[in-house]
Amino acid sequence: MIAVHSSGSDCIELRRLHRFFGDTKAVNDVTFSVGRGQVFGYIGPNGAGKTTSMRILATLDLPSYGDAYVDGFSVVNDPELVRKRLGFMPDAFGTYRDVNCSEYLDFFARAYGLVGRHRSQRLQWVLNFTGTEGMANKPIRGLSKGMKQRLCLGRALIHDPAVLILDEPAAGLDPRARIELRQMIRQLADRGKTILISSHILTELAEVCDSVAIIEQGQLLATGSVDQIQAERQNQLELTMRILNRQDDVIEALKGFGESVLMDNAIIDGQFIRFGFGGDMSAQAALVTHLVNSGFEVAEVRAEKKSLEDVFLQVTEGLVQ
Amino acid sequence: MATIDTTAEIASPHSDWLDKLDRWCARTGDRINPILVKETRQSLKSRQFVVTFSMILFAALAWTIAGSLSMMPQIYTTPSAPRMMIGYYAVLALPMLMVVPIAAYRSLEAEIDDGTLELLSITALSPWQIVLGKLGSASLQMLLYFVTLFPCLAYAYSLRGVDLPTTLLIVASLGVAGLLLTVVGLFFAPTARGRSGRVSALLALIFLLVLAEYAMGAMVFGMIFYGNPLSQSELLFYVVASTAVAFSLGHLMLTSTAAQLTPETENRSTAVRLSLLAFTTVCVSTIALAVLVLRSSGLPIYFFGMFVIAGVWTFCGALMVGERSTITPRIRRELPSSFLGRLVLTWLTPGPTTGLVFTIIVLSILTVMQQASLSWISRSGIARGIYSSQLRRFFGQPALLFVAYLISFLVIVRLLMYVIRLRNNPRVELGLAALVVVALMAALIPYSMQLHYNDYQPLTYDPKWQMTNWAFTMASALERRLPPNIISNVVGAAVGLGTIAILAAWKTTRPRRTATPERVLQELEKKPQGLSEQSAS
Repeated sequence: MIAVHSSGSDCIELRRLHRFFGDTKAVNDVTFSVGRGQVFGYIGPNGAGKTTSMRILATLDLPSYGDAYVDGFSVVNDPELVRKRLGFMPDAFGTYRDVNCSEYLDFFARAYGLVGRHRSQRLQWVLNFTGTEGMANKPIRGLSKGMKQRLCLGRALIHDPAVLILDEPAAGLDPRARIELRQMIRQLADRGKTILISSHILTELAEVCDSVAIIEQGQLLATGSVDQIQAERQNQLELTMRILNRQDDVIEALKGFGESVLMDNAIIDGQFIRFGFGGDMSAQAALVTHLVNSGFEVAEVRAEKKSLEDVFLQVTEGLVQ
Repeated sequence: MATIDTTAEIASPHSDWLDKLDRWCARTGDRINPILVKETRQSLKSRQFVVTFSMILFAALAWTIAGSLSMMPQIYTTPSAPRMMIGYYAVLALPMLMVVPIAAYRSLEAEIDDGTLELLSITALSPWQIVLGKLGSASLQMLLYFVTLFPCLAYAYSLRGVDLPTTLLIVASLGVAGLLLTVVGLFFAPTARGRSGRVSALLALIFLLVLAEYAMGAMVFGMIFYGNPLSQSELLFYVVASTAVAFSLGHLMLTSTAAQLTPETENRSTAVRLSLLAFTTVCVSTIALAVLVLRSSGLPIYFFGMFVIAGVWTFCGALMVGERSTITPRIRRELPSSFLGRLVLTWLTPGPTTGLVFTIIVLSILTVMQQASLSWISRSGIARGIYSSQLRRFFGQPALLFVAYLISFLVIVRLLMYVIRLRNNPRVELGLAALVVVALMAALIPYSMQLHYNDYQPLTYDPKWQMTNWAFTMASALERRLPPNIISNVVGAAVGLGTIAILAAWKTTRPRRTATPERVLQELEKKPQGLSEQSAS
């Protein structure tokens, strides 16, 4: 028997995934995996290759090379089995005219092969979960963007998939709708769903995701939990010091401290100097001692941990294809 | 506190069979194509349906009053049905032959444009279900329009002048034509990409619909005003043949539409090739039956049928040669497993090489049959005198030359597509474009060169220069001015190229079927969710 499915307990797995459009490498050798029940953030600037990878996972596109697996089934060889396990919410709504919310969900339930009482139970559950119960008999065209987004999430959930792929689900939503969406995603993760989510609102991802992957120009730049990536980038911790005297000499003194001081993007603003620092707490203390021994009057030291947004800006270069 | 169970009281006498009926309805509803359910819900609420339905009602009522009044008082004494029937036909034909096919086209096009087709393609629905659902919804609309106008048709019939068989024939023809045109509309929807492509496709569809409206109108006018000129056997032949051809053509177009909606990894070719074979068989049978049943009056069908088959195989042959040569793991699982199976059925599996061999084999068989039938028609006396000689003139040498050139050009197109596909992944339609380019070059280059060397003086056919010029060669064959050895040269070249193509294709029978993994088989055997629970209940 030929084994064509991936092994291991990962629910989503991208293995050396490539997708070329002519000379453009939309996805270039991307490999990562997402464990069962995880919320995984997929971050990257516009044109980075997020949507292309997600479309391949959703069996809407084919890789030029490599493969992707959902629950162990290949998107290339067994797309129909992948589809059973997968709910996909693209960045476009994909709704119909002259159809109301419950008819829309009922249609997709039928399309996924749900029959009888099971279908009506799922429909009711989805309407309750997404908070669209009150809108069930209203035509879709009259819904707000937030409600449409809820309805589309409902559509992706109607067949109770184990894996959810959400492409920019929070785009264009007001703060309340974003918070509600975040809560829904967290609830789904608590129910054991594996969720791959892409977004430009990085602070949102930091709060909801267990792990993230950062992609740019089709290449994976970093992957791991938010804390892990932040820890890996601790050498770019930002240190702000207030020096009361000899501000002109402080740069030379800092450079003399060693490699942990990174003066490439240092900013001097009057008595304040901000620079990158790659050391731990004791290294910070040693630096202060070094400055004081050198005759500087250090009045204030402030270390700032980088946010996911800072990490993203640091990791990516803003390049588009 | 005592309570009264009202439900038990209400349900008691008939609840059992009502419940059974309810469950049966629910089960039946679950089996209906979801697209049909959605489309019907959607279309019955749409403005287009409301407007069309209202217009039909208003136009039918207006014509009933205006037509009847205009024929007063003779309406009581003389047969007045033809005039009324024409009016009702016009009212019914517009929505059935124009509005419904365009609505079906727009419906599928909107699915592609709005991205909902992608959402459907990741559900359990197959492309065939999507296409059939759309067709089913269009048929329902047509049925509604027909039912609306039924009392008017009955009224017209009661006025005398058009017999019942003619009325039924008109209605049946309208129904079949409406369905076929809806299939054409669905076929056009996924062909075009981009804004200009969509506009061109819509214009081409409207042109076809107007043409069909005109042809149907002419036929119905003739039937109503001049009666039915056909004998019973002729009528039977035309009804059976046109239904069979319309059905097989509809099936071919639906299969092609479904293939266009099928992902690249899946086998998109085999179903289309089988449907193409079925359509060709139906056409050949119709032609044979026409000559056998109708004798000399069936010869126009023979002429027309030849052109249709030639056109369809030129078009489809070029598309098959333009296919991708990659056999995906999905397709490998479906390959024939035995040696005999590989030898016979490989030509139905996707790929340009198998497509070329399939086309060559079918064209060769068809040519042998055509040439044999031509000889039989002349010998049996069905075509006599000048008719017989004209038949030979048009379908003897020129038909042979056409097939020979087509096979040769397809082999060249296969080589061109091989080179193009080394670095690109174009659509299969490029095969058709390549065939047009090859045919044009094969005609224009030798003609221009001979013209140049002849100092731009009028040319006579020179086999040394013009052997590849299919247009000049076939025109000379029609005028019977072709040198004797040229046909054997052209046919010989085609036989040579065809044989090389078949021999070179031998390795395509080599790929073996790959086993479907156990876990995949287990998953595929699982019932849909809710089905087991329902059957238990």
